[in-house]
Amino acid sequence: MAIKKGLFKTSVGRKNLMAVTGLFIIFFLIIHLVGNLILIIPNSFFPIEFWGGVANTHDMYNAYSHFLVHFWPVTLVAWVLYVAIITHIIDATLITINNWRSRGDKYIVTDNSTSTWYSRNMGILGTIIGVFLVIHMAQFWLQYKVLKVEHDLYELVIVTLKTWWFVLIYEIGIIALGFHLVHGIESAHRSLGIYPKKLMNVIKYVALCFSLVMAILYAIIPIIIYFK
Amino acid sequence: MKLTLKIWRQENAKTKGKLVTYKLSDLSSDMSFLEMLDVLNEQLAVKGEPAVEFDHDCREGICGQCSLVINGQAHGPESHYTTCQTHLRSFKDGDTLIIEPFRANSFPVIRDLKVDRSSMDKIIQAGGYISSFTGMAPEANAIPIHHDIAESAFDSAACIGCGACVATCKNSSAALFVSAKVAHLAKLPQGKIERSERVLWMVNAHDEEGFGSCTNTGACAMVCPQEVQLLDIARMNYEYNRAKCISK
Ligand code: SF4
Ligand code: FES
Repeated sequence: MAIKKGLFKTSVGRKNLMAVTGLFIIFFLIIHLVGNLILIIPNSFFPIEFWGGVANTHDMYNAYSHFLVHFWPVTLVAWVLYVAIITHIIDATLITINNWRSRGDKYIVTDNSTSTWYSRNMGILGTIIGVFLVIHMAQFWLQYKVLKVEHDLYELVIVTLKTWWFVLIYEIGIIALGFHLVHGIESAHRSLGIYPKKLMNVIKYVALCFSLVMAILYAIIPIIIYFK
Repeated sequence: MKLTLKIWRQENAKTKGKLVTYKLSDLSSDMSFLEMLDVLNEQLAVKGEPAVEFDHDCREGICGQCSLVINGQAHGPESHYTTCQTHLRSFKDGDTLIIEPFRANSFPVIRDLKVDRSSMDKIIQAGGYISSFTGMAPEANAIPIHHDIAESAFDSAACIGCGACVATCKNSSAALFVSAKVAHLAKLPQGKIERSERVLWMVNAHDEEGFGSCTNTGACAMVCPQEVQLLDIARMNYEYNRAKCISK
C-alpha cells in the first residue's frame, strides 16, 4: 500500500482545499459588501464635492466600480477568486460523490438531533448559492464587465432591484449564504487544524456573529433600494 | 413492560434484508438492552427459529463490540452510552423500537445486526502503534509526562473502537476514530518517533478502506460512548498538514 502523494487526494487533503478556497471567498465577500453599502449612502451625505466631481451616491458608486475594473491588482485578485470558486465547487462535488459511495444502505429511521440541519446540507446550500451566483453574474458582471453594454452600473443595479422577484431571489441566495458561512467558517478552521482548544469557542462565536452581520447587511441593501 | 421490536434480519452481505416484528412482554425495566435480546433469542430457540445475531463481548462498556442503531440512534437513546450499558428504563412501556445494524459501506453485514468492522483494525494496523523494545515493561516513570498531557492523551486513548461514529456520520467517515488514535499518540513522547508517518499512513488506510471525508457536522462526538472530542479531529488535521509540510 502506497501513500497517495497528492496534497489534495486524501479525505483530509480535499477538505483542506475546501477550507482554503472557502476562506478566500469570504475575504472577497467582505470587499464586495463594502461596495454594496455605497448604494445605500443617502445623497445628503455629500455636502461638498469629493474628488473628481463625485457629488452623490450615483457618482460615488460608479467611480468605485470603474476603479475596480480598471485597477490591475484588483483584476489579478479577481482571477484568483474565479479559480477559488471553481475549485471550491469541483472539490465539493468530488467530496460529495465520494461520501455517497462510502455510505451504506439507508437507515429506516435516522435521528437528526445530533447535528444542525445546515451542517448536514452544505451541498444543497452551496447549490442554491451557485444558482444565485449565475443569475447575479449574468445580470451585472456580464453586462458591465464582459459585454460592456452597460456603462452606468448604478442605474442597472437600481433598475434591477426594483423588480420584486429579483429581490426575492437575492434574499434566498443571501439566507443560504448565511447558513453556509456559519458552518463553513468553523468547519474550515477544524479542517485546517487551526483550532486550538483555547480558541475553540472564540472561533465558533466569531463564525456565528460574522455570518449574521454579513447576511443582515447583504440582505437589507436590496430591500432598502426596492422601497426607496 | 412490553415492547414491540422491529429487527433488521439479513442472511448475509449479499442478500437483501428486511424488518421483522417481534413482541415481547414481561420485561423488567432493569434489564439491559442485550439481555432483552437474549430473552428474545431464547423464545426463538424454543420455536426452532434462527436466533437474531448481534455483537457483544464484555457487556461492561469497555470492549466496543456491541453495536446496533436503535430508533435511528447509534447505541440507543442515551448520549455517550454503549448498547450494553443501555437499559430498558430508557424506554417507555409499549414502545416500538426499530433495531438496525451499523450501516456503512466499510461495515458489510455479516448477519442480522452483526457487521464486519475489521476495516477499523486495518486503520490501526497502518499506524496505531509505537516503536519500543520488546522484553520487560520499562520503568513507568522513566519518561516524565506532565499530568495535563497524560490526562488529555488518556481522553483520546479511551476510544474503544466501537464504530458508532462511523454509523452516525452521514458520510460514513471514521475521522473521530482515526483522530483519537492520532491525537493520543501525538501527545505522548513515546508516540513522537512515528508522529508524521502515523497520521499519513492512518489517513491513507482510512481512505483505502472506503470511509468518507469528515464534513464536521459533529454528530459522531454526540454519540461516542467515550466522549472523544471533535478537537481530536482538528488535531489530526493539524498533524496531517504538519506531516505533509515537513516529511521528506
Ligand atoms: S471515537 Fe468514540 S464512537 Fe468512534 S470508535 Fe472510538 S469510542 Fe467508538
Ligand atoms: S459489549 Fe463490550 S462495550 Fe458493549
